[in-house]
Amino acid sequence: MLSRVAASLYWQSRYIERSDGMLRMLKINYASSQDAIQEFTWEPVIRIFAGLDDDEGENLGNDSRAVLKYMVMGRNNSNSVLNIITLARENARSVQEHITKDLWQCLNEYYHTVKDSKLERALQREDPISVLDVLIKQVMLYYGTVEITMERGEGRSFMNIGKYLERAIQSVDILDTKFGSISDNPDLLTDTTYWKHLLLSLGGYELYLKTYREGFEAENVLEQVVLNNDFPRSVIYSVNNIQRYFERLQNDSNMDDFRDMTFKIGRLQSRIKYSSVKTIRQEGLHAFLTQIRGELYGIADVLNQHYFANS
Amino acid sequence: MQESAYFDKYNPIGGVWDEMYGADSNVRDHYRKVIEYISRESADDLNKKEELAKRLFMSQGITFTVYNSGEGIEKIFPFDIIPRIITAAEWAFVEKGIKQRLTALNHFLKDIYHNQFIIKDGVVPIDIIYSCPHFLREMYQLQVPYDIYVHISGIDLIRDHDGTFYVLEDNLRTPSGVSYMLENREITKRLFPDLLPQCGVRSVTEYPSILYKNLLALSPRQIANPNIVLLSPGIYNSAYFEHTTLARLMGVELVEGRDLVVNNHKVYMKTTIGLQQVDVIYRRVDDEYLDPLVFNPSSMLGVAGIMGAYRKGNVAIVNAIGNGVADDKAVYTYVPDMIRYYLNEEPILKNVPTYQLGNDDEREHVFKNLNNMVVKRTNGSGGYGMLMGHAASDEEIADYKKEIIKEPRNFIAQPTISLSAAPCYMQGELKPRRIDLRPYALFGPDGIEIVPGGLTRVALKEGSLVVNSSQGGGSKDTWVLA
Repeated sequence: MLSRVAASLYWQSRYIERSDGMLRMLKINYASSQDAIQEFTWEPVIRIFAGLDDDEGENLGNDSRAVLKYMVMGRNNSNSVLNIITLARENARSVQEHITKDLWQCLNEYYHTVKDSKLERALQREDPISVLDVLIKQVMLYYGTVEITMERGEGRSFMNIGKYLERAIQSVDILDTKFGSISDNPDLLTDTTYWKHLLLSLGGYELYLKTYREGFEAENVLEQVVLNNDFPRSVIYSVNNIQRYFERLQNDSNMDDFRDMTFKIGRLQSRIKYSSVKTIRQEGLHAFLTQIRGELYGIADVLNQHYFANS
Repeated sequence: MQESAYFDKYNPIGGVWDEMYGADSNVRDHYRKVIEYISRESADDLNKKEELAKRLFMSQGITFTVYNSGEGIEKIFPFDIIPRIITAAEWAFVEKGIKQRLTALNHFLKDIYHNQFIIKDGVVPIDIIYSCPHFLREMYQLQVPYDIYVHISGIDLIRDHDGTFYVLEDNLRTPSGVSYMLENREITKRLFPDLLPQCGVRSVTEYPSILYKNLLALSPRQIANPNIVLLSPGIYNSAYFEHTTLARLMGVELVEGRDLVVNNHKVYMKTTIGLQQVDVIYRRVDDEYLDPLVFNPSSMLGVAGIMGAYRKGNVAIVNAIGNGVADDKAVYTYVPDMIRYYLNEEPILKNVPTYQLGNDDEREHVFKNLNNMVVKRTNGSGGYGMLMGHAASDEEIADYKKEIIKEPRNFIAQPTISLSAAPCYMQGELKPRRIDLRPYALFGPDGIEIVPGGLTRVALKEGSLVVNSSQGGGSKDTWVLA
């Protein structure tokens, strides 16, 4: 497979995954802003998801509609859903003959949906949750189409590596921000709605209720989001999948490159697998998450050098 | 036969060949079934079909992007839902004519880049050839596989007021539009269910497999799976949709210049497992941009050293480089002579009478009759830089004359040919609009094959004679009946 094609598939899939995480986060935050008695802060969401090249986001304050507009349709926000879906589509466009026609049409429709000016109006005047749901549904269609139509080959492996890498980075970032806020405001530690919203925005609320019977505890939330093998947005689940799809590239790889990458992924996987909430607490959550994030970026670098011919 | 309101109101343009109506205002036989079908539909239904067509083009990304103030706006090429129909007899004539013309043009390219007999025998004047910017010294004495230069061509045909076919242009470099031939047909299948088989319309779907078979045959390495690639300038090219469609339909790799590298006179592509040798390149990049070491040094679209690999015979390039000398508008005049010279046959398809403005007598004649002339640049395309004598103001004519006098070799003139008209669906009514026809011919080691169909371009503006998409033209599905 051409290096450029592999890189485009990988990035296409990273952008889609990012849009998914963002949309879910925005939806839950908006819903919780409707529950809030005191002023609701959008600051963590903007910190996690807005592009770094622009300070417009910082000045939005807590105006929910303005934040939503900025995060979904913001033209100056390089990380707005509109901008990243445009990038995902440009990537897909340059590799159209490597994805199925169904998938191309699906992504193309997602793009036209985000671009639709009616959607922008609805986001400002009508119920934002319905608008976000329309977009979330587009992502689900996309993933369903990948599942049903894409051949189980090299291309899909690169797509999945991109998807799970993005997901792992997102989960790490969200945890880091959410737990970081506790040190500023210790009351949050016992605030059940705070944890409930965190779990909802990661789609892990129902699983949590089934797993833990004793109500919302910070340590349990941490355990589920980092260490639960069955939770599809946990860090360990994402890393296991990076490993799984990378293994499949063995026959399509140069042996040295493959060994280098396998080593890096294996090291990260073991680091998480042989941690527990207790050991993470001991070394400090922030330090732990910073190290995991560094390793994830390291994997992305190796891919870039060895597989995408960008040295 | 019951005819609906659409057809009662249809007014053929006087003095113009109408594809649907005969001279006695009777519907031609081959249009009857379509008319019956459409007559059963209400204007509402037809409007819905038009909407459906637009939506299908949009959702499949069959669009081109216009970049305006930093933001891309997606546009679709206008498509008219009423098909253009060609009878079996008309097609047989066109097919024979194109095969003859193409054979001669291919002989001409071989000759002009080797022994140049045609110049030595005084059939084509030497200055016409050597003054042509597309005549490339780099191709001199270069052997191309099977002596085929024009693997893919799109010869533009028009019909005069009596229905006679004329060749307007030979496109022998990288003719585009074939994806529209294929996509228009797919859309028509959706718009008019069951109508195609009822009418006995011949299929066009073989095009990609014939092209693939021809590309495969050109591989310089005798191996089981040669690497065939389609070289595109990238996603910002207006024909990018076509490049990806063809790559997908043939199952070949779509590459850009930056994916390729030349080492030791061999072309390689950069892949996830390292470099892989490329055997055949179907390139959609113009000659000028193909190799920065030989042609335009600032080109980022090509591959440095590719010309060396080509000269060594390590890679096949389709179409051959330097074909522009054969579709130059000044050389066009001599194509009938080429057919007589190389094939000893009379030309089947006529040329439009053409005046060389480099020639003093002819220039004088053209200047006197500018009102009835179309003046074109010999190296122009896309309908840019033309002067339509009948529609231009005195001022435009005066300015254009100045341009001509500066560099007369660069211009030709042709009497205004009226172009045939076909019915188009516009806001609930059928109206006649001018059309041309571009069939796509594939030249491989087994000979020339032409898929029964082609691209019918239509001038959607009332009274317009310019069908180019860049000048407000659209397209129609083109049916060839069995």
